[in-house]
Amino acid sequence: MNEFHNAIEVATSGMKAQASRLRHISENIANTDTPGYRRKTVSFDEVMTDGQRAGLVEASRTRLDPTTLERVYDPSHPMADGTGHYQGSNVNLLVEIADAREAQRSYEANLKMFDQVRQMSTALMDLLNK
Amino acid sequence: MYQSLALFQTASDMARHAGTRQAAVARNIANADTPGYAARHVAKFSDSYNAARGPNMRATRPKHLQIPTTQTGTPFTSTGGEPSPNGNSVSIAEEMMHSVEVSREHNRALTIYRHAMTVMRTTLGR
Repeated sequence: MNEFHNAIEVATSGMKAQASRLRHISENIANTDTPGYRRKTVSFDEVMTDGQRAGLVEASRTRLDPTTLERVYDPSHPMADGTGHYQGSNVNLLVEIADAREAQRSYEANLKMFDQVRQMSTALMDLLNK
Repeated sequence: MYQSLALFQTASDMARHAGTRQAAVARNIANADTPGYAARHVAKFSDSYNAARGPNMRATRPKHLQIPTTQTGTPFTSTGGEPSPNGNSVSIAEEMMHSVEVSREHNRALTIYRHAMTVMRTTLGR
């Protein structure tokens, strides 16, 4: 029973981590056209409790992508410099969509695990009804 | 109550083992995107059951050599999957397969338990 509880907790932590990843992806997509915006990336870490691997996962601190910002030519833009360029964002929509799809798949895998553990737990409980 | 009967004992051990194994699979899937994470698995129930019994040699006298049973707790084995560039060796497809296998094993254990209980009821004439 304790193992089931443990497994459900782990699956939940996985879903939370993937959800936070998805949130950052949507922030990036929303800010594609924001001048000077650097895309946020998030990585995952295994949680350590008392120096032991707990198996839970959490999203790590967000980092900013250091790639160079795109230079857009638009002399009429209020932020344009002497050469008529301004700095756009370094968000690549294709990368964001691919990342979002991967996050969705991982989320689904966690959800599937959650469901399966719940079914096993229910089957165990049904034994008491006999 | 039923622990003294080997059948109930084995069935409940099998169910418990399935729970432990499922927790290990859940851990792997949750960490499917963690850099540097190596997938860890619990051995199959049949394997650990045979290992715990040891080879078919019986010590009938005190002077006979005993093979020490080193089976304590649940040994985690790291599968030798090819890690992806970030050092993660979890394959979601493989984990799904394991999860289904474990779920069936758990179901089987519960069915055996339930059946044994029915047999007992019948014996008691209820």
